[in-house]
Amino acid sequence: MSNVNISKLKAIVGDNNVIDSPSEMAKYLKGKGKPAVVVLPGNTSEVSSIVKLANEQNVKIAVGGTVAGTKGLNGGIAMVMSRMNRILEMDHLNLVAHVEPGLLHKEFLLKVGEAGLNFPPEPYEVETSSIGGCFAIGDSDSKSFEYGPTRTFLLGFEMVLPTGEILEIGNKCIKNVSGLDFIHFAVGSQGTFGIFTKLLVKLLPVQEAKRAVIGTFTSIHKANATFNTLIKRNVQPTRMNLLNASLAKNAISGTEGQLVIIDLQGFKESGKNIANEIAAVLTLGGGTDVKIIEDEAEYDQVINGWLKVRAELNGKPEQTLEFLVGPAKMPQALTQLEALTGDLGAYPGVVVEGLLGYVCLALPEGTDKLALAAKVNKLAMSLGGNIKGLLGHKLKAEAYNDAEMWQQTIGLLQELRQQFDPKGILSPGVSLEA
Amino acid sequence: MLSQTVVNRLKEIVGEKNVVTDKVGLLTYGYDGTLLSGEALGVVSPHTTEEVVEIVKLMNEHNIKLVPRGAGTNESGGTIPTQDSVVISFTKMTKIHEIDTENFVAVVEPGVINFDLQVELEKRNCYFPPDPSSYKASTIGGNVGECSGGPKCFKYGVTRDYILGLEVVLPNGKVIQTGGRNFQSEPAYDLTRIIVGAEGTLGLVTKVFVRIIPLPRAKKTMLAIYDKVEDASQTVADIVAAGIIPTTLELMDNLLINTTEDFSHAGLPRDAGAVLIIEVDGYPEDMDPQVKTISEICNKIAKEFKIAQSAAEVDQIWTSRRCAFGSVARVRPSYGVNDITVPRSNFPKAIQGVLKVAKEYGVTIGVVAHAGDGNLHPLVLFDQRNKEEVETVHAAEKALCMMALDLDGTVSGEHGIGLVKKKYLDSEFTPAAMGAFRKIKRSFDPSNRFNPGKVFEL
Repeated sequence: MSNVNISKLKAIVGDNNVIDSPSEMAKYLKGKGKPAVVVLPGNTSEVSSIVKLANEQNVKIAVGGTVAGTKGLNGGIAMVMSRMNRILEMDHLNLVAHVEPGLLHKEFLLKVGEAGLNFPPEPYEVETSSIGGCFAIGDSDSKSFEYGPTRTFLLGFEMVLPTGEILEIGNKCIKNVSGLDFIHFAVGSQGTFGIFTKLLVKLLPVQEAKRAVIGTFTSIHKANATFNTLIKRNVQPTRMNLLNASLAKNAISGTEGQLVIIDLQGFKESGKNIANEIAAVLTLGGGTDVKIIEDEAEYDQVINGWLKVRAELNGKPEQTLEFLVGPAKMPQALTQLEALTGDLGAYPGVVVEGLLGYVCLALPEGTDKLALAAKVNKLAMSLGGNIKGLLGHKLKAEAYNDAEMWQQTIGLLQELRQQFDPKGILSPGVSLEA
Repeated sequence: MLSQTVVNRLKEIVGEKNVVTDKVGLLTYGYDGTLLSGEALGVVSPHTTEEVVEIVKLMNEHNIKLVPRGAGTNESGGTIPTQDSVVISFTKMTKIHEIDTENFVAVVEPGVINFDLQVELEKRNCYFPPDPSSYKASTIGGNVGECSGGPKCFKYGVTRDYILGLEVVLPNGKVIQTGGRNFQSEPAYDLTRIIVGAEGTLGLVTKVFVRIIPLPRAKKTMLAIYDKVEDASQTVADIVAAGIIPTTLELMDNLLINTTEDFSHAGLPRDAGAVLIIEVDGYPEDMDPQVKTISEICNKIAKEFKIAQSAAEVDQIWTSRRCAFGSVARVRPSYGVNDITVPRSNFPKAIQGVLKVAKEYGVTIGVVAHAGDGNLHPLVLFDQRNKEEVETVHAAEKALCMMALDLDGTVSGEHGIGLVKKKYLDSEFTPAAMGAFRKIKRSFDPSNRFNPGKVFEL
């Protein structure tokens, strides 16, 4: 039985913005949990009232931009931010924008582009990701070597805390060390510290020149070896990515073999020479169909293909394994990995983001992920890396034989969450265990 | 006073020579870059993480608080001993464990001096972008504590953007590792980010994984000279509007032009209202078009514009900027340095605000600024021996901070809060934000043992 008081929710957001028939709720939900209701707030004060109501009635809330996860949300409230989707301000002088969290990432990219500006973080899922979600997840992506990870682009926000209190922090200054850095600490907290209701986002001038160099390889190892050559030649493009054969054809249809995509943004005059240098390295490294792309439409097609593949993997975290090694150690990593996985070219999915030393594996069905993770982590640690995120942290502590470090870290994370959300109202699907 | 038992135990942990308890010795650890001072119960200098752990545990047993310290160059009172504390000095932890240029990471101990790291990196054609003006003396641990800035932030960001991971001794004496050697190793929450800039209030950093990047292939340094400060501000706005992100946009006003000229004889015209040092970097082919755009912008309003043609000319331009703080001692014996920051668009108003404060309080204020960042360093000149004047200076500094907040800015862009600006925090932050800071502090340090009373009261 749920304690959710539907009539009180309707009084807060209006009848039309409370949905409790399961068939209508479905399009706002993902996962197997059964929340009692979907609610679509229209402003900060409504969000705050809903959270206060949830506190009174001890009901859990999960938040999403267009779709909310339902894990752990049985009988709870799914809050969908899609009505709060305005760009409140685009400030060219200070290179910042004030936006609402339900604004779609792709919409924002469009508007930012029209304004002659640049917001580098890649959308997590091309169609459905919101700006609120972008910062709640707060990841890195294949452009982070040049631009920095997602958190770099948040200067401030308004947030409804798990108690319903409204917190505002930050300003348009690109340098700000006042107080503790809650601004960047909140990035990646996945809604456990609060619900973003406004975001003050840092922008950059638009990159006038864009070029890509692509090439295909029969061997994943040969493809990857070209990245090492480029690192040794001191060439750092914007993206330096590799998709194995299984994924390559999803990015650019008809692709045979492993696909290398190298992106050059902003090298206005130098780009021609760099692109030629990269194309030569790819060709000498055994690449075929090596091509420099300068046509805008074709460039967009390649990058969108990349984003699509990336988003598909982002959408199924339970079926992927992500790890990092030192970027220059990737050849050893892939060779050693193959001993665990078999032929990587034929594997369901392998993504390499060469500048970051990042690998994402799409696992074959029936894989014992944790068992594989332990082995891969050992391999990665010997090459200056580890499995990504919390799981990696646990495996690292195990490898150090340091149970105390793991306990301390977990204890600290839980204490922080408890301090902000004493009743455990927000984001029940987010686990701080690994 | 520390009991003999505690002193003996400390000496067992770090060695006889690394514990200071005599009056004269303590005095030297009682200062930083501000006018404040305090006296510690003792000073202890560990060499290893294990020694830090032992010290923390010992202090906890005796309920004594700890104040971390690097080179003590900070401008906020962050390392001043308060509340019957022992100072833990990291100047003996100076190992550079590893420099791995191909994997863009270096691993260092907190006592490594920023400059020493830069020298090692430069040999390998790499660098660590955050280089606060104190970099010849300040330590990486201190840079992490304050989240230091410097002149390159407009393009490259601040210290927090170059810290990949930390080894941290928590207030309970346990050791954790945050982050790692890449962007994606944080355990759910970005613990590295909350510790960077926390001024040692959350944990003691014993190892730092820093991001290093290759040196730019090319660099161009330019100097523009203006009749009025406002004209320099206009150049900054125009450069940004042209889509150029220079590494540096450093401004000095007339007072600073004259004081630095007394010392450096760089040939700056003494009647100029302001100078702007502009630097761009990147691939050689990309330099000329940017320099061309910038020179067009500058030539519209600057009274003089030049492009450095040699390394010697670059040095000459930078000499004035580097000696700016010290040079004002020729005018008055003391100066108070501020680091108020405003949105770039409010920079001209902030300059006017500084002039207004100077006039209202009858004090001399020179301005050095990272203009691209909206970050100003008004230097308030005075004589420390004149008590009355010191009071006036404090009042003027408060007025500067309030002016920055009125212009939607912050009281601190790169120096931190420490003791000096603690009193303004309630003006900058709402009660909810202050509440969030306290929740974070309580999670790490419920007994308030690490750098107590700094930044805010628990």
